[in-house]
Amino acid sequence: MSAARHGPDGATLLVRARTGDSLAVARAITAIENRTAAGIELGLAVRGLRGRCRTLGVTGPPGAGKSSLINALIGDLLPRYPRIGILTVDPSSPVSGGAVLGDRVRMAAHSANPDVFIRSLAARGHLGGVTRTTRAVIDLLAAAGMDFVIVETVGTGQSEVEVAELTDVKLVVCAPGLGDEMQAIKAGVLEIADLLVVNKADLPDAERTITHLRAMLLHRGHDERRRALKVSTLTREGLAALAEAVEGRFADAPPPPAAGQGASPRLKLSEDVAELAAALVRESADPRIAAIVADLSAGVISPSQAARAALDALGDASPADVEPN
Amino acid sequence: MAMQDTAPRPRVLLTKSFIDSHDRAIATIALALRDAAMEVVLIDYEQPEDVVAVALQEDVDVIGISFMSGGQVETTQKIVAELARREVADLPLVVGGIIRPFDVPPLEAAGVREIFRGGAPMADVVATFERLSRTYRGLA
Repeated sequence: MSAARHGPDGATLLVRARTGDSLAVARAITAIENRTAAGIELGLAVRGLRGRCRTLGVTGPPGAGKSSLINALIGDLLPRYPRIGILTVDPSSPVSGGAVLGDRVRMAAHSANPDVFIRSLAARGHLGGVTRTTRAVIDLLAAAGMDFVIVETVGTGQSEVEVAELTDVKLVVCAPGLGDEMQAIKAGVLEIADLLVVNKADLPDAERTITHLRAMLLHRGHDERRRALKVSTLTREGLAALAEAVEGRFADAPPPPAAGQGASPRLKLSEDVAELAAALVRESADPRIAAIVADLSAGVISPSQAARAALDALGDASPADVEPN
Repeated sequence: MAMQDTAPRPRVLLTKSFIDSHDRAIATIALALRDAAMEVVLIDYEQPEDVVAVALQEDVDVIGISFMSGGQVETTQKIVAELARREVADLPLVVGGIIRPFDVPPLEAAGVREIFRGGAPMADVVATFERLSRTYRGLA
């Protein structure tokens, strides 16, 4: 069938993605998401290489209008950033593992724009509002020539702080009239916000909500740069000001910590090796691996013997032993 | 929750025209595919070519198009032409909804892999998407 879908290695995936061809970028993302050996190698090859690419995290409760806000901001961002990547994360079903990814319904206006690359990601059981591999996917988009990458989180609230470690500037989007739910947000997500955005400013409760948020900001100590802004994606009120404010925050945003920063290099290496070894065991066509699996299943060897034997087999496997895809 | 997150999941794009507000059918299919462990991307297209642009960015294995008003044949032919232009002519296409008898021959001639005219058991619909996805991804 489609030979193109059979496993190019990580280096080949990267070369293709760097041509900017959207299908090549998309297939590289799939490999990273599925954590194939090639996808893991690719993630390692682009790690931390974001160059001048700016990154923006957008989080906030369901229905706050995150997708619509991103859609509305694209027009204000494109003059400054010629190529924009958008990653939008939706939850996976805890029952089936499947997902309905509907965020880009709100971004239809940009479907045909070759300068805007949008990819829907399923959380696949990962908590924290993003996916396990989102960092690597951002790095890939930067390597593929994106000037700006936006990450939209799942949108379930309190625990969605992981995006803070992935992006330069963080927006927390709220809608008017959430009342007591606002209290829940205050405890977690608001703390990572560089800018608070009250969307749907066309609604009557917007003034009250923004007043509450500004009072809360004062409580936390005065910081000129941490502001609350009112916008409406319907009337476009405040959108240009928000784009300006985001730009201003980039100027003084520290770069996001590199993956595993703080962890010892050896610890980080151990995690990378574990990931890669696991993928190689899953994909290996080496008959020795098959024999080890058979012996383990039959109870002929112990799990520790099997693990050691598999590591030995991987250690002297030639690349040809790795099955494509 | 120990979800196995490395298994390749079928990725499907389901779409209908943005001027067609009949979304019950497409939502029903989306939920059935989700429950069958697929990842389903939903969009309302403005132009037929948008469908292909999105399918490429999302790296889907199958495209399903729902028609509840007009444009069955013309829209499908435009999408097929765009698939060829973007060099993914083998990306399978499934069509469903209000498909009149005289729509069927030209849709088949265009290369549509399966046509669901209503009344098909959901299990058949799910099995079709699964089969086409596995074949396209090279897992068959």
